[in-house]
Amino acid sequence: MTRTKSWTRREFLSATAGGALLAAAGLGSWRWLRGRRVTEVFVAKASSYRADLAAIIVAGMRELGVMPAEVAGKRILIKPNLVEPRRGAEHINTHPAVVLGAAEAFLRLGAAGVVVGEGSGHCRDALMVLEESGLGEALRGQRLSFVDLNSDDWEDVPNAGGASGLASFALPLTLRRADWVVSVAKMKTHHWAGVTLSMKNLFGVLPGTLYGWPKNVLHRAGIHRCVADLHATVRPHFAIIDGIVGMEGDGPIMGAPKSAGVLLMGRDLPAVDATAARIMGVDPARIGYLHLATGGGDALATRAILQRGEPIAGVRKPFALVERIAAHQGLRL
Amino acid sequence: MDATLRHPPTGNPGAAALSGLRGAARDDGGFPERAGGGFNPGATAWAALALARAPGSSALAQRAAERLARAQQPDGRVAVAEGHAAAIWPTPLALLAWQATSSSPEQRERAERFLLAVSGTVSEVGENSVDKTIVGHDGTIPGWPWILGTHSWVEPTALAVLALRRAGRASHPRVQDGVRLLVNRQLSRGGWNYGNTTVYGTELVPQVDATGVALAALAGMIPAEAVAKSIALLENAMSEVRTPFSLAWGILGLSAWGRRPAGTATWVDESLALAGRYGGYGTTHLAMLLAAQDAGGTLSP
Repeated sequence: MTRTKSWTRREFLSATAGGALLAAAGLGSWRWLRGRRVTEVFVAKASSYRADLAAIIVAGMRELGVMPAEVAGKRILIKPNLVEPRRGAEHINTHPAVVLGAAEAFLRLGAAGVVVGEGSGHCRDALMVLEESGLGEALRGQRLSFVDLNSDDWEDVPNAGGASGLASFALPLTLRRADWVVSVAKMKTHHWAGVTLSMKNLFGVLPGTLYGWPKNVLHRAGIHRCVADLHATVRPHFAIIDGIVGMEGDGPIMGAPKSAGVLLMGRDLPAVDATAARIMGVDPARIGYLHLATGGGDALATRAILQRGEPIAGVRKPFALVERIAAHQGLRL
Repeated sequence: MDATLRHPPTGNPGAAALSGLRGAARDDGGFPERAGGGFNPGATAWAALALARAPGSSALAQRAAERLARAQQPDGRVAVAEGHAAAIWPTPLALLAWQATSSSPEQRERAERFLLAVSGTVSEVGENSVDKTIVGHDGTIPGWPWILGTHSWVEPTALAVLALRRAGRASHPRVQDGVRLLVNRQLSRGGWNYGNTTVYGTELVPQVDATGVALAALAGMIPAEAVAKSIALLENAMSEVRTPFSLAWGILGLSAWGRRPAGTATWVDESLALAGRYGGYGTTHLAMLLAAQDAGGTLSP
């Protein structure tokens, strides 16, 4: 895979000093501010899917220091969250308007090309999920192509995390050939993981042919551990979370729509997810994979995340949690 | 020849699909999923199944079956790829392909023994367990997994039941368990999804493909009344389904119960005509659509 960003000496020293490869996975987006190590997350209000989402995303990327020179000529893989075919259920899958907005934003910044890829977790028929979600028609309208990552050829890549005990991950060649991997996730509660955001969305990059439908290999190895390991191994470059309409309650499939009216983005996925969790009224420190991915330190603390755009307090919309769901217990901020 | 139909077919879409499939064969007799790809056991099995009954294609089907035989491991499994021996789900498809081509008797026997010897992980969740409030299905029934070491799910169990029934093992306890599992995973409103019924008390949603493959496996094994809701649900859904995987399994599932939809030929042609939307269909989709057109024979019990 073409990786355009190499580790700086400071990042390398930080990682080795911390002694945790998992925690090191997102270090490329940290910077120092008045002696503190911080990362940045942009939060934008977006009241509906009819808003100019590309413009919002471009503005957010600019705030985060993503410059055209960094994106120009790059091949971008956008990884939405497409779980199940359900017509008209805009709270289950990443909305097509957000996927198109993200694609348009990267193209405006000079990307050489954008491909959308997903390995749906619950349905063998990727084309059915694509069509029922409305994304198929949307992509055709913009001449963007879709790759079913479930049936893509793959390359076995050593697990850079080490939390799950899995020796390697089979990563699709579409992902390996991309210069930038962008997780374009949905803001949802999850009955096994607590919340599903940009990091949990990475389950969908793994081919079902080798992990099953559902990707039960990952469940057996531990959902939180696998999310952290995948994040460390894939090292996505950017995350965008569709919180315009999310899902609360018994997510990720059977919950209720929740209008949060936000888009979040950033280079550091744990920080983006931590911010999304706070908006949902969930304590990010209690989400197992966020804890693992950051080495259990204070990287999830509000002082470690520079908030750009809207302040969390201005957009907080507590998502309903379900008391009888074990993964929801104790999550409330 | 390309493994995909890159443009909407004109004239006779079925003939164009067959031509595209025939041309996708690799020099080693196997089939790739996509043009230029490597040998793919699942795609090869589906190609053999479709070509075995297609005019003038039996030699290609035989070569595909032979390629699958060479991919079989000594214990009988046919895995997705070397280095991924736990991904055993192509094994029942390979067995179906060997049966359809009346070939590879030793490999068939080994595959049968393998399938009868392995199962998905079973839980201690029983019909009366309190854990049933979390996951509604009976996890103690052994079926078949996609990947060894994981739980049993609908499609791999249905494929194993189909293949073992055709091998004359319908009364084997493992096959009966497989039938029991599929019945247990049927949703109360009818239909199946990948294999969860309720989670935390909420019933999940049926899917066309899973419903079709489960119905195909259960035909003749249980009374029609036991699947009446599922058949009705599928019949209602089919007129709007044109994606190849779901369309093919829907037709195959209904045909297994003597309910081949009247619109089958038209729907298959319409699905083939949509291939250009997706840059063409891969081998599995082409072969499944051809098999669905021939639903009376390809996977009949």
